[in-house]
Amino acid sequence: MTLLWYLIGVLILVVPFAAMVMLPIKRSKPVLTVYFLLFVVFMYGPMVAMAVLSLQGTTGSMTLPAKELFSFHWYSELNSSMSVMVAVREGIGKSLWLSLIVAVITAVLSLTLGMAFRRQFRGSGALFYAILLSLMTPGLLLSLGLSFLLYYVGIQKGEGALGYVPIIGVQTVWALPFGFLVMMSIFNRYDARAEEAARDLGASNVTTFREVTLPLIWTGVFGAGLFGFTLALNEFERTFLVSGTINTLPLQLYIITTASVLRPYVYSLGVVTILLSFLLIALFLVVSGLTGRKKTRAVEEDGSGVDAPSMTPAAASGD
Amino acid sequence: MSSDDAKHAALEEAKREVEEAESLTGASAVAVHATTGPRRSPLVTLAWVAPGTIWLLLFLIAPLVMIVLVSVWQKTPVGFDPFAFTTEGYTKLFDTPVYLDTLKDTIIRALIVTALCILIGYPIAYFLARGVSSIRYQIALFVFVLAPFWVAYVVRIVAWLPVLGRQGVINYFLVEVIGVRAEPIDALLYSNFAIILALVQLYVLFMVTPIFFQLATLDNAAIEAARDLGATPAKVFREVILPLSLPGVLIGCIFVFVLVMGEFATVRLIGGGTIQSVGTLVYDYYKLPDLPTAAAGATILVAVMTIGVAVLLRFSKIREVV
Repeated sequence: MTLLWYLIGVLILVVPFAAMVMLPIKRSKPVLTVYFLLFVVFMYGPMVAMAVLSLQGTTGSMTLPAKELFSFHWYSELNSSMSVMVAVREGIGKSLWLSLIVAVITAVLSLTLGMAFRRQFRGSGALFYAILLSLMTPGLLLSLGLSFLLYYVGIQKGEGALGYVPIIGVQTVWALPFGFLVMMSIFNRYDARAEEAARDLGASNVTTFREVTLPLIWTGVFGAGLFGFTLALNEFERTFLVSGTINTLPLQLYIITTASVLRPYVYSLGVVTILLSFLLIALFLVVSGLTGRKKTRAVEEDGSGVDAPSMTPAAASGD
Repeated sequence: MSSDDAKHAALEEAKREVEEAESLTGASAVAVHATTGPRRSPLVTLAWVAPGTIWLLLFLIAPLVMIVLVSVWQKTPVGFDPFAFTTEGYTKLFDTPVYLDTLKDTIIRALIVTALCILIGYPIAYFLARGVSSIRYQIALFVFVLAPFWVAYVVRIVAWLPVLGRQGVINYFLVEVIGVRAEPIDALLYSNFAIILALVQLYVLFMVTPIFFQLATLDNAAIEAARDLGATPAKVFREVILPLSLPGVLIGCIFVFVLVMGEFATVRLIGGGTIQSVGTLVYDYYKLPDLPTAAAGATILVAVMTIGVAVLLRFSKIREVV
């Protein structure tokens, strides 16, 4: 019996791949469409199951079958005076503030790095690989190394205002490559002639940057900041060993999940964070959509058009 | 034109494109962007370069260097004694077979997950890039598929609990709905199978994205040329599409392999404490606290990852020569 299940599993994996290899895209498209739907179920299914279970009534448990659908009991529980929930709400508050700071720093650093990479400079290759490295370093290792560094220089984790610095540090390292990619895609289609014109007319470097460059790329900077906000809000492994007593939302969730008895409020808390993330993505899409439209209009009006940043797959990719 | 000529032409075209694609994905990516800006003084360059560089030195490079340093420093009751050289951390790791066994398991797990990510991710990227004709739908579907990436990683792990548990969705389906099993499968949660399933779901997007970009920017002319000249679909795929998308596959492999090697939270939460990875082992030493041993474990992990990445890059070099 088990063998049969393995066989079905292998078939599900192999058939679409074989269809892709053997058939022209026109013929393999139906198979691939079905496969794509299965993939969507795979990606979203667990979250949907969690959402359903979060809508149970008082007697609800962590597993199926769902009891007393649909009730917001476990959501109102998030607002209760239980000590766990107080900690969770504090976590949410801290996370939002931290994410905001990380967002601003990510936006600024992505902007400066984006500007830097518009021309080749000594060490640009090394810096580029360092940015890639920040994407590739497993979170636990980064966290571990930074906690060593803190011990070495004698900074107490999680104490006072200084305690927030390492958290902001690693979360920004995580968000920076994404923000940087956004800025790269912006500068990739950026028209430098406006800058040259300003400079020819006698504007200083600072004026040119403030009056010409920045208005043209601010959506990119904003996008980089939004990336920073979302990624920082959801960051776990990098924050894990350097946070000390400062428990951000994902850390609270981890603590709740590993400790004691699980109740369905874990699910409602999960759903709340998912909704928050999707809201932020929607915001990102709206902002990039707006600039996309502005660009089209500019092209229609004067035929040339300022090459304003627009939503590109590269900007939306995330990796 | 004979079919041999056709084959030859398509092959040449494909090779040229492979070279182009590779030049874009390599270090020269920097150079591509480096000519759009105005000339500027070294001081201005420094001003733009410095903030990001300092940040990365402080919060990325320094921590990684610290791991290597601490691994050869003396342990003290709560931390380590700087510059007191010892290899105790390493000898402690190899005193028992636990570390090596765990390392072996972690490598095997990472390889399985990487392979599954290719097997699952490639057709998905292929469908998105070549099966969806409208750009609008393409971007919409791509963003839809990518959205879970922005959901908190812990939440995505937690979401597997109702699916994999003894009374989870899968067992519920097997026992109650189709009735193919009388008893639920105990081994679903807290098993290697569960961990691999969750890891594939967590990291497959790192594979889909680079392959998608490689396939989406692929020049249709090469494919049409090969097809017009009588190449079978399988041949078009093998000799044109696949070679052109390999840089994307390579980047995806590096991401998935490295990130899964360093995994901690998924193994802890879904493995339920019974299954270890190098990450959880390092964490356990850190908690003791035995920081030098944790650092030694992490250093070896980094070394293995680096070797893995080097092998992958080497593999791609060999292909270039052939």
